[in-house]
Amino acid sequence: MMHNQFMKRVHLFKRTCWPISFAVFLLLIIGVLFIYSACYISEGQEVQSYYKKQILWAFVGLLSYIFFSLFDYRRFKRIAVWLYAICLVLLVMVLMFGESRYGATRWLMISGVNVQPSELMKIGVLILLARIFSNPSVNMKDLRVFLFSWFLVFIPFALIRMQPDLGTAIILFPVSFVMMFVGGVPLKYLGFIVALAVACVALLLGLLVLPEKMGASEERQTAILNTIGLEDHQKHRILVFLNLDKDPLGSGWNKKQSKIAVGSGGAWGKGYCNGKQNILGFLPRSVAPTDFIYSVIAEEKGFMGSVIVLLLFGTIIGFGMQGAIIARDRMGRLLCAGVVTMLFTHVFVNIAMTVGLMPITGLPLPLLSYGGTFMVVVMSSLGIVQSVFVRSRRSDNFAHSSSKPMGYSGGIRKGIRHV
Amino acid sequence: MFSNDDYESVLLRIRALMMIMLGSLLFLGMVLWREQVLNAYKYETSLDRQSIRRVRLPAARGRLFDRNGVCMADNRPSYCLELYVEELRESGRISNTVDRIDHVVDEIAEVLGLIRQTARKDISMHLSKRRPMSLLAWKDLDQEALARWAESDVSMPGSSNYISGVDIYVEPVRCYPEGPTAAHILGYVGRVKKGQSGKDEDIDYYLPEMQGKRGIERVMNTTLAGEAGGKLLRVNASGFKYDEEKRDSLPAVAGMDIVLTIDMRIQRLLSKALKGKRGAAVILDPSNGDILALCSSPGFDPNDFSPSITQKQLDILVGGHKPLLNRAIAEVYPPGSIFKPVVALAALENKKATGSTSFNCPGYFALGRTRFRCWQKRGHGWIGLKKSIEQSCNSYYCQLGLRCGYEAIYHMASAIGLGQRTNVELGIKGVEPEARGLLPDDAWKRRVYKDAWRKGDTCNLSIGQGALNVTPIQMAVVSSALANGGKVYRPRLIMRDFAVGSNEETVSSGYLVNDLELSAETLRLVRGGMHDVIHAKSGTGKRAKIDGVEMAGKTGTAQYGARGSGKQHTWMIVFAPFNDPKYALAMIVENGDSGGRTVAPLIKEVMEGVFALEHDA
Repeated sequence: MMHNQFMKRVHLFKRTCWPISFAVFLLLIIGVLFIYSACYISEGQEVQSYYKKQILWAFVGLLSYIFFSLFDYRRFKRIAVWLYAICLVLLVMVLMFGESRYGATRWLMISGVNVQPSELMKIGVLILLARIFSNPSVNMKDLRVFLFSWFLVFIPFALIRMQPDLGTAIILFPVSFVMMFVGGVPLKYLGFIVALAVACVALLLGLLVLPEKMGASEERQTAILNTIGLEDHQKHRILVFLNLDKDPLGSGWNKKQSKIAVGSGGAWGKGYCNGKQNILGFLPRSVAPTDFIYSVIAEEKGFMGSVIVLLLFGTIIGFGMQGAIIARDRMGRLLCAGVVTMLFTHVFVNIAMTVGLMPITGLPLPLLSYGGTFMVVVMSSLGIVQSVFVRSRRSDNFAHSSSKPMGYSGGIRKGIRHV
Repeated sequence: MFSNDDYESVLLRIRALMMIMLGSLLFLGMVLWREQVLNAYKYETSLDRQSIRRVRLPAARGRLFDRNGVCMADNRPSYCLELYVEELRESGRISNTVDRIDHVVDEIAEVLGLIRQTARKDISMHLSKRRPMSLLAWKDLDQEALARWAESDVSMPGSSNYISGVDIYVEPVRCYPEGPTAAHILGYVGRVKKGQSGKDEDIDYYLPEMQGKRGIERVMNTTLAGEAGGKLLRVNASGFKYDEEKRDSLPAVAGMDIVLTIDMRIQRLLSKALKGKRGAAVILDPSNGDILALCSSPGFDPNDFSPSITQKQLDILVGGHKPLLNRAIAEVYPPGSIFKPVVALAALENKKATGSTSFNCPGYFALGRTRFRCWQKRGHGWIGLKKSIEQSCNSYYCQLGLRCGYEAIYHMASAIGLGQRTNVELGIKGVEPEARGLLPDDAWKRRVYKDAWRKGDTCNLSIGQGALNVTPIQMAVVSSALANGGKVYRPRLIMRDFAVGSNEETVSSGYLVNDLELSAETLRLVRGGMHDVIHAKSGTGKRAKIDGVEMAGKTGTAQYGARGSGKQHTWMIVFAPFNDPKYALAMIVENGDSGGRTVAPLIKEVMEGVFALEHDA
């Protein structure tokens, strides 16, 4: 009996998506190496040993990766609501007793470990939405379902926004949006959301940012604001509220320095541990191992290094979406799509910020940036993707729930890996 | 159950999503290609601009030697204590670092037993203006302080009191081993003012750099200064030095040494003779115009200027008796009687007079109602040409001048170099231009006095008075021309130097400006007269006579200022030895008694010294 159980586990491993595991493992190693490179020059002993802590986090991450690969994702159906509720409670607790750093309250001490509940909430929302959308009794075309789902997303958004951490809060939107898209929400609803978002952004940019950028005089800017009933100081408040550019030195310092780091890396880079921008401290030491780890890699390993990292993320995203295609059921499909979207959004926003295409938002780069909670969340999510692979449509032998195969048409065969 | 599972449409949506995501990553890849490969140079430039600082490295200044290899200008090491501010940096506000350095300076002051040279505000200033550079906390430490520093455990790595980031820095400081002896020849150096080396616009920091301000230091500055180099410092985001960038650093090319024609031994004699007097003297080698010695008094010590001079010292030097002025080339004086040999030359060469031409001297010469007095109130009676030189008879020269006409005198004086710059290498445009002197003629008089040249002007000219003005170096050239038989050389100061950037030694030889081609008879008469000035019992310059060497000369006592004011400059020109002249000398002492009484004894002192040197060698 024991033997059988063991063989069954081994068999499960054979069914995981190896390219994803390969890419994940390489990225973990790269992350540790470059966190060392970003910190070895630092004066603080604690900062210097960040890489050791990251190794620890990587191990914890790998354990949760393996755990969730083996864990049957369908069991989330029962606990999804509870997970969501726990995350909400933690978020409220952060606002009440959280630890403040850099003017924001994000950390909660739980039995000696600093946890960022906002990161946990990302996966909490993701699982809850997958649970709701995969429920056969829920009509995805019902407007009430659509609105209720957004309500469920907005509560954690508001709580995270209050920390304040706009970057993390905003991540909830693309993830939820994509899950609705994959879940089958009618395009007209989604189109309305897109139109709303575009309109909001356009309005804000048009009224708050553009006149200044176009070089309008102070009086003219005030006049434009007055026509829509805003005072000058209110504009400033709105900009602060939006937290558009988290920039400690003002005048776009981080963005400029990150661009210089990336650009001066050239085709082949300056060599490991030899990034001038980092060594000389132009790339601020506080963010080099976290939000700007990609700048360090791009400077030291050049275009080659940058592209290799991009390819590794591309591998995870491509094969992760493949998981959504071959998933046994709606739940698996939605989980894969959600996890991949979360990952992709982080990767895209972070790298775009690094090369100066986007404002500084403070989103970490998955698997590479220094940080424990996010590492565990990302590794767990990827574990869930593997769990979907393991139990994908051809895995009848190991199906131990009563849910029936969905009876897809033969066209999907193309999407199945032949193990 | 709702029909949520239109698999085909879901598949389409998932595929579209995947394409969008992978497409976005491809887009990022393309942006990276543009920034890292195509625009890399732009960002490298930005990186260098924000982290590279250029420092100008002055070259070692060339030295100056006399013709025998005696060093006249050198660089001595000045020991400074420098603080590497980047090693003393404190985290947090920059004032923390200022506090730390301030404290370190106090500690070191205690060790050295010296008072602080660097105030707290100097430290703040340094950190705001020259942050990547080291701070020189003490300059010019003496041996005692150095010893105390070396023995202290504060400078001992490993000791508990060790302060890192403090080091001894050796700064070259210009020094002049001979002090004031040749001050007017050498000149002095001063610090280059900021922005004066304007061609290096991309230089961020300068080290103290010296520049010749006067004399040869100034004239030959380019050769002496060499070519400044540069080094690149890499600074960190706080502006402190991170390291020195080895690439693109340019070593300085040391300045070239210059050998002067000066003979320091003679220079010392001359300097000693003029000490305490106001005047100037020049000794030339008549065979080529080499300046063997050139002296102006009062003088100054060029060492006072390096590394820097206080305003108080400077005020003394520019005021009063103008010790900075090089009287030998930049001041003009009426020559008085030392001009008479030139008049004699003019008359003899133009056949207006011979050796037997005599005039009567009743103690004055009357031209109309004007009387030109002779110094001998009793009068010389009838007197010949040779004797007129020996006796320096004014009456004789007024009559001789009138006989041969002012044009002949003018041309002879002009041919021998008066009224023109000698073009000695010392004249500095703007600062201390060589004086031209004044050789008056009809055109000059008409221009300045709106009046024609009159006989009285000729008389004045003939006795070296009136508007005639000369520099001591011009008179040394006259003396040299009389000595060598009429060859007018350009006085030469620089014997050889190396042009920057080439290994070729430039040896300038004597430059013959003019050959008067004097006849043997003319020379015999004029030189004979000058010989008697010193050797005849009644010679006006007999006090210059020395044992064993025959010399020739002419004294002069020139009135200046308002007529009858009694102010007079005293002159003497000399060449020696009489038969084979090796030295031609002109000396003036301002406000002397008379040429024969004031200057002749000084010349005796100098020439005795000079020939004693020859005797020793």
